[in-house]
Amino acid sequence: MNEQEKSAYFQRYNNRTHVIGRVSSVMVLVMLVGAPFLIGAYLGAMPDLNAAAKAFLSVGLVWTVSSVAEFLIYTPMLGAGGGYLAFITGNLINMKIPCAMNARDMVGAKTGTAENEIISTLSIAASSLVTIVVLALGVLLLVPLQPILQSEALQPAFANVVPALFGAMAYKYFRGNLNIAALPLVLMSALFILAPSLTGSTSFMIIPSGAIAILLAYRSYRKGGRQG
Amino acid sequence: MNILSQLNSPFMYLVCGGIVAFVAVLCLVFLVRAYRAGKAIGMDTGRMKQAVVSSAAFALLPSVGILLGVIALSGSLGTPWPWLRLSVIGALHYETQVAQAAAEQVGMENLSASEMTPEGFATIALLMSVCIMWGMVLSVFFNKGYLKKLGAGGGKSSGGGFGDRAMSAMFVGLVSAYIGSYIGEFVSGEGVLSFAGDWIPLATAVVSGVVMAVFLYFGEKKGMAWLESFSIAGSMLAGMAAAVVLGQL
Repeated sequence: MNEQEKSAYFQRYNNRTHVIGRVSSVMVLVMLVGAPFLIGAYLGAMPDLNAAAKAFLSVGLVWTVSSVAEFLIYTPMLGAGGGYLAFITGNLINMKIPCAMNARDMVGAKTGTAENEIISTLSIAASSLVTIVVLALGVLLLVPLQPILQSEALQPAFANVVPALFGAMAYKYFRGNLNIAALPLVLMSALFILAPSLTGSTSFMIIPSGAIAILLAYRSYRKGGRQG
Repeated sequence: MNILSQLNSPFMYLVCGGIVAFVAVLCLVFLVRAYRAGKAIGMDTGRMKQAVVSSAAFALLPSVGILLGVIALSGSLGTPWPWLRLSVIGALHYETQVAQAAAEQVGMENLSASEMTPEGFATIALLMSVCIMWGMVLSVFFNKGYLKKLGAGGGKSSGGGFGDRAMSAMFVGLVSAYIGSYIGEFVSGEGVLSFAGDWIPLATAVVSGVVMAVFLYFGEKKGMAWLESFSIAGSMLAGMAAAVVLGQL
């Protein structure tokens, strides 16, 4: 296949990915929203839409805003296939995003390339399948596993999965980007020290922290461009 | 039959398991299509396999953490529904919060099996689905246009430029926010500048980072590149083991 044929092939692949992604997302949406009504029919009581609307106003709006921010920030990182699949399978911040970034860097794929699209999709699909299998096995073996997983001694391990993940990622990403990482890290630390209640909203603090890092990267990029 | 028995009934497993199975098939479809497309455009199949293996290894430990979320919610919502929620769109930090808020709106004091009613469960389940579905809704309508506007996924083979750096910078910002939160939790968790807060998350992150440095040293300087696929999972395991040890102090 020459370059032109490859490009045409990939374009067709990408268009088809959007079709499959859209159709499958709509199907999953219908199943997820329909399931509570189906289960309600089985239990003999339908959802209280009034109470659901009130609860949506109290917590749902925050998550809606968060979803918009997640879509805008993470879609460019994930590409088409990875994006559809990641938003279907969830657990973006604590698994899918670091996982895709790790795979992308390991392979050396650059944003916006065909390689990035393929690697990101492979990464999200593989990690989602592992989660599905682990949860299915866990549910199957719930009775023997429960005492082990809930044992007092192991609780600190499972309570610190995310710090363990971000500690490893911090070393990997900070070492080559100290000029970009230093300021957001210092500012975020100072902010969380002075306003400790913000620790409950860390996922929202990603937005200013990321914006500062992008500004610093842009400055460094412009500087490098001028020197080059 | 009490409510928890109904929520753990074969019917519930059938409904929830059916949706989980559908999503598993979707993942397989995306995986196989991407692999075939990568092969067709001349990508190194070894690199693609490495991406799959490292991602699978990466996902293992967080998945066990997510399983704990299923167990935590199963006491009040039964097992099948939390299993579905955390397999499809769900997020560990989200489910409990939304379930609790919904429980309060249907008149329950706490999210517990003793207070659960069929109507309460159906309402909670609906809210858990609706609150978090917006990323998927936005993807349906805007993924294609948004990526087109950004010029991503157009089949370029060189890439690079500022877009690439911006993505890495965004991720650096994300990690900075989390590491900053662990520092803040330790320094001010029990009162501003008290240095009496929970230090285990920060220590876990430090241990995990140090072990990652060891992995990268052997991978890059000692020619053991195969270690790279397991570096994150290995570092996390070391960090989590450190949390268990430090938790005993």
